[in-house]
Amino acid sequence: MSVAPYPEVGRVRSFLDFYATMIRTAISSQVQYRVAHYFYMLGMVAEPVIYIVVWTTIAKAHGGSVNGITAGQFAAYYIVWTLVRNMNVVFGAPYWEWRIREGELSGQLLRPLHPINYDIGWFAGSKFVNVVLWIPIGAALYAVFHPTLSPTVLQGVVFFFAIWGAYFLRTFIQSTIGMLNFWTTRGAAVFDLYMTAELLLSGRLVPLKLMPGWVQMISNFFPFKWTFFFPIEALVGNLSTRSLLLGLAAQIGWTIGMVVLFKFAWRAAIKRFSAVGG
Amino acid sequence: MNVLRVGWLYLKMGVLNELQYRVNFFVQLFQALIQVAVALVVLALVYSHTTTLNGWTQPELLTLMGVQILLGGIIHTFVQPNMGRLMDDVQKGTLDQALTKPEDAQLLVSVREVRIWSLVEVVSGSIVLIVGSSRLQSTLGGLDTLAFLAALSLGAVMLYCFWLVITTGAFWIVRMDHVLELFEGIYATGRFPVGIYPSWMRYGVTFLVPVGFAVTVPAQALTARLHGLTLLGAAGFALALFIFTRWFWRFGLKRYSGASA
Amino acid sequence: MSEPVVRVENLRKTFVVPERDAGMAQALKSLIRRKTRQVHAVEGISFELQPGEVVGFLGPNGAGKTTTLKMLSGLLYPTSGEALVLGHVPSKRQRELLRRITLVMGNRNQLQWDLPALDSFELNRAIYRIPHQQFREMRDELVELLDVGDLVRKPVRNLSLGERMKVEFVGALLHRPQVLFLDEPTIGLDVTMQKRIRSFVAEYNLRHGATVLLTSHYMADVEALCKRVIVIHHGRILFDGPLSALGDTFAAYKTIGVVLEDGATNLESYGDVIHRDGDLVTLRVPKAETSRIAARLLSEQQVLDLTIEEPPIEDVIELVFAQEA
Repeated sequence: MSVAPYPEVGRVRSFLDFYATMIRTAISSQVQYRVAHYFYMLGMVAEPVIYIVVWTTIAKAHGGSVNGITAGQFAAYYIVWTLVRNMNVVFGAPYWEWRIREGELSGQLLRPLHPINYDIGWFAGSKFVNVVLWIPIGAALYAVFHPTLSPTVLQGVVFFFAIWGAYFLRTFIQSTIGMLNFWTTRGAAVFDLYMTAELLLSGRLVPLKLMPGWVQMISNFFPFKWTFFFPIEALVGNLSTRSLLLGLAAQIGWTIGMVVLFKFAWRAAIKRFSAVGG
Repeated sequence: MNVLRVGWLYLKMGVLNELQYRVNFFVQLFQALIQVAVALVVLALVYSHTTTLNGWTQPELLTLMGVQILLGGIIHTFVQPNMGRLMDDVQKGTLDQALTKPEDAQLLVSVREVRIWSLVEVVSGSIVLIVGSSRLQSTLGGLDTLAFLAALSLGAVMLYCFWLVITTGAFWIVRMDHVLELFEGIYATGRFPVGIYPSWMRYGVTFLVPVGFAVTVPAQALTARLHGLTLLGAAGFALALFIFTRWFWRFGLKRYSGASA
Repeated sequence: MSEPVVRVENLRKTFVVPERDAGMAQALKSLIRRKTRQVHAVEGISFELQPGEVVGFLGPNGAGKTTTLKMLSGLLYPTSGEALVLGHVPSKRQRELLRRITLVMGNRNQLQWDLPALDSFELNRAIYRIPHQQFREMRDELVELLDVGDLVRKPVRNLSLGERMKVEFVGALLHRPQVLFLDEPTIGLDVTMQKRIRSFVAEYNLRHGATVLLTSHYMADVEALCKRVIVIHHGRILFDGPLSALGDTFAAYKTIGVVLEDGATNLESYGDVIHRDGDLVTLRVPKAETSRIAARLLSEQQVLDLTIEEPPIEDVIELVFAQEA
């Protein structure tokens, strides 16, 4: 006597169903932790606030602008920064080590769905909660620092797509780096290197225009610029329509590249995991 | 003194414990180096567009940065691990273990944990500090150095008190760990002279979270900006804060013991 | 004889683990150099499972049970040897296979922590591509069988260990797998809950004809559920056959319980006294000598009551494991 298997629902339908369910689940769960989120956000906001103050101070002492960026524009850059930062939070590379150790990975490998879908779905869902929580913080920053901000409709639309592009790109960058945890417990060191590179080359520290020329040139060879600087500039800067669309295309291109890289890294990682047992 | 003996014993145990994890050592070292490197990059960036910031020159700001990293290292090594454990104990109800020992409870919960790897930050901060102050126009006299050490100790005391007060709040609002995340963000304001911040921020960062007092004052000592009055004020503030912290701790303890009866 | 559901041939698994000595000097040394050694977790085991069988995999901690289960569910590559589950090689982790098996590990949590179990069930529905109607039917059946109707609406973190285990079971079986790998499913649970889980597994097997491979170091689990038991120790199979034959193969003794008129009498000359409870004395005697010793007791002593028993399986197994160590 043997068990008759179920008839199966179509692949695409199940896939979308999974994402809808995952997003819903993430929202329900994250809403319970909104207080913790708020504290996390407030801590995160301190960083750009310090930068606004520093650069505005310098701007005021030098005739109102630094490298052509006015105080109001600095404020706009860093305030939008806080929104973009909240939107590109992903499952961090170091957490792969935790996931392996705690056995969560084993559970996920037993299921017929790639674990990365859990991460993408979960953090996509928590974004909705984050944005809602961010709104009062954004409003407060706006009132205090008087940014110059008047985006066009096109800029707004591109910004919307650019944030999601940044999210996917950053997901695959960090997931690929996270694969190192299958071979070493010192993955944290590599992660720090990555975070530093991202900090300096992505526009996370300062608008890229303020970096020396050679840094600006190097940043074109890395994907980081497209996770921070591009979405922010799309909304805050004065990019031409052509630049905006080319930017989106660059994001897509980099994301595809990282997805391919991730696929190779994953295959190797699972071979290693299954040989060693995690 | 008994305080020192107890502290020394716990330190030895902490070191033995930590040496087990060799990963920690290399990772910590690496992280500390990166932290310094990034801070230097920011400094270089700022000074590529200006010569003074709020009246502070580059070597002066370098000195300030060194103080901030150094003090941060002291907090991460000696204060934060204890506060984290205290919060944990209150949440899980395991504080009673510490309370039934013959030593003073506040002393015990303040010294039993140590994270020696964060001493790397103390070292890196000191190096930055020395490099910065060696480039200053003015020379450092013995009095300045003394004032610096005094101010630094006062700063450490202030931050310790701040941490303990917040953690004591755990007796009432059990889930306080989110506050830890806030601290690092606010402490980062110490990287720059307090004077650049808008007045409302300045007051918050000086009296609410005594970062300004703790970091800027020692740096002022090194950069010949320190007024004797400021140092006196810092001493007074530290003393008042310590007394308040002690009182608040015992108040919270009473409540805790009463609550879990 | 139909195709075996699980076929294992000469399966082997060897691990390389780091070694660390105690003390300050060693701790510093280990910062520079690392010592390793080889652990042979599974050393060439072979067996087959037929459809619908419930087989117990019995062995002490570290015997290789969990390692074998992980190899059968695709989480570990064998070092050598062959394993086939439903005709698939598990380590390839093909979707068709994953949809038909399940691995439940005692004390491990695979449901969303902060949310009611019902939400996690919905996730599993989407992951396993279960049609809505079948999903609802199966879910309701499982919830009823395990009696967790009121528990599935509470966040999982608010449930006790036993309740969590039950709810985990529901989540793990929603897709009606053909093969169940259960790794110490009753560990850490109280006796009532253990019985509950056991009767549930038996019922599931009855209703849906699934094949079950259950590991445990509790003999009670195996006795309650399994007609066939595989005993594994130090990575090798010591026994593979009917549960009833286990005693015969390993137990070379029986126990005689005797109640004497004079309870203080020394009975050492008849056999090993293993227990004394008031007037009841329990003797362990070699199997072949049982009737002779019983006859001697009856004739030489004032016996009020005498019983002859098979040793409890637990004791048998414990002796086996102790011997082979």
